[in-house]
Amino acid sequence: MKSFGAGRDPRDAREMKEDAERLLDEARARGRIEFAVTWFALLWDLIAGTGHDLARALRSLVRAPGFTVTVSLLLGLGVAATTTLFALVNAVILKPLPYANPEQLVMVWESNVSRERLREGPSPGNVEDWVSHSDAFEALTAWWTTSATLRGRDGSAPVAGVQVTKGFFEVFRRAPLLGRTFTDQEYLGRPSIASGRTGGQEPVLVLSHRLWHSLGADPALVGGTVFVEGRNWRVLGVMPADFAVPDVDAALWTPWDMREAYRGARFPDGPPRDFRFLRVVGRLKPGLSPESATDRMKILAARIAADHPRTNADWSVQLVPLREELGRSSRTGLLLVFGAMFCLLLLVCANVASLAIARRASRAREIAIRFAIGAGQTHIVRAHLAESALCAVITALVAIVLTTGSLGAAIAFAPADIPRLHEVGPDARVVSFAMALALLVTIVGVLLPGLRRSSATIAPALKDGAPVSVKQASRMRRALVAVEIGVTVVLLVGAGLLTRSFAGLQRVDPGFDTQNLLVLRLAPDVTRYQRNEQRNDYYGRVLNSIRELPGVRSVAAVTFLPMSTIGQDFYRPYWLEGARPDGFAVTQANVRMATPGYFSTLGLPLASGREFSAQDGLDAPRVIIINESLARSVWKDQDPVGRTLILDYQGGPSPRQVVGVVRDARYRGPRSNPAPEIFIPHAQNPYLVMNVIVRTKVDPDALARTARAQALTVDADQPVHSVTTMERLLDDTMQQDRFAMRFVALFAAAGLVTATTGVYALLAYTVAQRKREIAVRMAIGASSSSVARLVVMESLTLALVGCVAGALGLVAVSGLARSILFGIAPHDPLTLATTVAVLLAAVLAASWLPARRAARINPVSAMRI
Amino acid sequence: MSDRPRSVDHLLPLKPKVLHILLALADGPRHGYSIMQEVAARTDGQVRVWPAAMYGTLRELEALEWIEESDKRPSDDDERRRYVALTPLGKRVLSGEVRRLEAIVDLARASRALRPSAKAERA
Repeated sequence: MKSFGAGRDPRDAREMKEDAERLLDEARARGRIEFAVTWFALLWDLIAGTGHDLARALRSLVRAPGFTVTVSLLLGLGVAATTTLFALVNAVILKPLPYANPEQLVMVWESNVSRERLREGPSPGNVEDWVSHSDAFEALTAWWTTSATLRGRDGSAPVAGVQVTKGFFEVFRRAPLLGRTFTDQEYLGRPSIASGRTGGQEPVLVLSHRLWHSLGADPALVGGTVFVEGRNWRVLGVMPADFAVPDVDAALWTPWDMREAYRGARFPDGPPRDFRFLRVVGRLKPGLSPESATDRMKILAARIAADHPRTNADWSVQLVPLREELGRSSRTGLLLVFGAMFCLLLLVCANVASLAIARRASRAREIAIRFAIGAGQTHIVRAHLAESALCAVITALVAIVLTTGSLGAAIAFAPADIPRLHEVGPDARVVSFAMALALLVTIVGVLLPGLRRSSATIAPALKDGAPVSVKQASRMRRALVAVEIGVTVVLLVGAGLLTRSFAGLQRVDPGFDTQNLLVLRLAPDVTRYQRNEQRNDYYGRVLNSIRELPGVRSVAAVTFLPMSTIGQDFYRPYWLEGARPDGFAVTQANVRMATPGYFSTLGLPLASGREFSAQDGLDAPRVIIINESLARSVWKDQDPVGRTLILDYQGGPSPRQVVGVVRDARYRGPRSNPAPEIFIPHAQNPYLVMNVIVRTKVDPDALARTARAQALTVDADQPVHSVTTMERLLDDTMQQDRFAMRFVALFAAAGLVTATTGVYALLAYTVAQRKREIAVRMAIGASSSSVARLVVMESLTLALVGCVAGALGLVAVSGLARSILFGIAPHDPLTLATTVAVLLAAVLAASWLPARRAARINPVSAMRI
Repeated sequence: MSDRPRSVDHLLPLKPKVLHILLALADGPRHGYSIMQEVAARTDGQVRVWPAAMYGTLRELEALEWIEESDKRPSDDDERRRYVALTPLGKRVLSGEVRRLEAIVDLARASRALRPSAKAERA
């Protein structure tokens, strides 16, 4: 026993090593199985035979696995769940972008403080100037994503096509997987997806890995053609799988010559400066910080504004690191859910700690005896360290295995519109996080609570009852339970607020009837339907054929649907006749083409005037319908019907008569506010790609197939896709809110259960420990109800202290919550009151059983022992 | 207090591992690896002592003064190998254990309930 824990003699270690090597050599000579057996025997020998503390812990684990295994599994589960969410946070917010020197990449916005437009997509004209005059960038590129229709052997599908300006692949510095990207020459004069022009040079594109894969992953496709948006495109190359610009949906990239796109009579000055819609990313020159680049760009912007006051007065530039930009939209929701999970982990940790304290107290005698027979303080501490280390290792293993398994599910459950979701994976950072967290929770949950101070407690511990250590232990446990209640308060309030906020979102009236509305998208060939008459005829026949179906109330079509993310939305300037504004006062509205009956089919009522009719044809006078927002801003309280508005759209500014005013709708989801809108009769501007809406008398899903089939009867070659319902589209706009609400609510429920268990365990333990004291009280006249009250009061005190702690926590996190909440303040009194009520109910329920047990203590039998 | 050696009975019984190590040393000094080999050879591979356990036990036995480092070594052997030999106390412990085992075996043989059959082997 003298050598207990003593350091090993280095000479022993050397001989051991030599012997082991010799044994292995001999075993190897006898065959592979013998070798393996010997190897494991040596390993076990090293672990078990050394008298090492870890081995002792391992052996005691094998003999009595209860505590360590339970605790490790519990903690491992918590760490796994937290790590899974961390993997999301990591991919979306923390991870560097998968491009060379990603810190050089910045997103460029135009901003106008005086008009409160802080993040406008830059305009083509300004981008051209930046490219030729700015010295801040190595390369600068602009792109515009449009929805295109890809036709393959088995039908057609909508794909996101990105038209990119020169420098795109240089900015992101990624080489293609196959083939090549565009040469400088190929950026000039090629048709773009949206141009609709035919003829000229052959269109070329680069495919995404995903699209290439879904087309059969044939390397020979490079050099061949694909049929997109009504024409054949030559495939020059395929990008690698993790190249996702601007997002993972990007299916193909085409060269875009903005000078070619913006020329002729409509654009005498070349690319316009007042259409602000592009997405622009630049690669900063090496060593240039985003701040100094911003300064340089601001100087340039001021110069451009001086040269072009009509379009650029007051407009400046804002640079945002690309990584920040991408995580921006989902940051709050993700951090909230991650924070909630972390709170839950804290709760689990506190319960485990409480368990460890109770265990320590109950082992006080055993440890005291070991002290008494001469075991040193260090021995006992070291044994505990070894046990904790073992616990940490198992926790980390459980966590890593579970995390790896659950990442797929996490990606499936996460809202699809979170950026960079495809980058989620168990990388080194995620694994280190799991290990660090496992270590942390083991230290907090097992190591610290199990550490004892000095041996001063030996004597009392050996006496019956061990009052000192127990008192000390239960004080710590009470503090832990109070903290648990505090954390639960934060979780419950968070869940309550998110639930109420989500309910508020769902209650928001989008302005039209979302039920029983089927939507489908038609994208005919530009080559087949070149003339306006052909297009009008095609859509007339399609709408008629669907209208004939049983169960259909009405049918119409529009270029851009509410709640939808696909389709073209145009943002164009308008003004009153004879009052063309100076550049910077220009007012713009969303311009959409709609067929007769669109508003009645959508269930969006007219405030005055009429809908479009079949008479509003190509040769009829040009008319428009505007929404109330626009009517208010132009004509205040007067009725606009019959008045004229100049709209700068297709073919330049032209007067159009207002024939109707439609009510405002929230086009981009419940959070969006109505914006000025102008509708043009589809027949007067027969746009080719349209969304068809079908108002049904029955469940719209039941009509989905037949409606699609009916549209195909008109022309089987023309793609019909994206068949869905308006309710689903509306739902999709709230994905991130739902994600945050569901998970925070789930964690809050789990947290409540954990805290309640903690309260119960503490009280039950206290009652058991204080049995004699209670018996004495009862013997000298305390009633059972007063004893029960004692227990309940203790739990209520805990709840009160916990609530105060929780309130402090809430103050800390309310800032984060505010940005995601809709129509509700972080200190919403109803939520707070409900939380306190739920919590008190849970705490009282948890104290009921221990209180009853205390009240039923029989003083005589309790004191007899 | 007398010079007469104290009885070693309170140190018995020995763990099987310790008994085998002491037995291997009964013929003279050995180094660790040789003890391992000897134990395995004598028990036909049934009992094996692995290095870490071996050196841990050797140090414990050394502390108990049952064995000691020995200067006697074959001239052709590795300089760095340390040889150990039984101390007089070690010898007495070993013979005490062997006597104890003999007594048990005698008892078993004398017992009428136990015939030298398959049953005995199983026991």
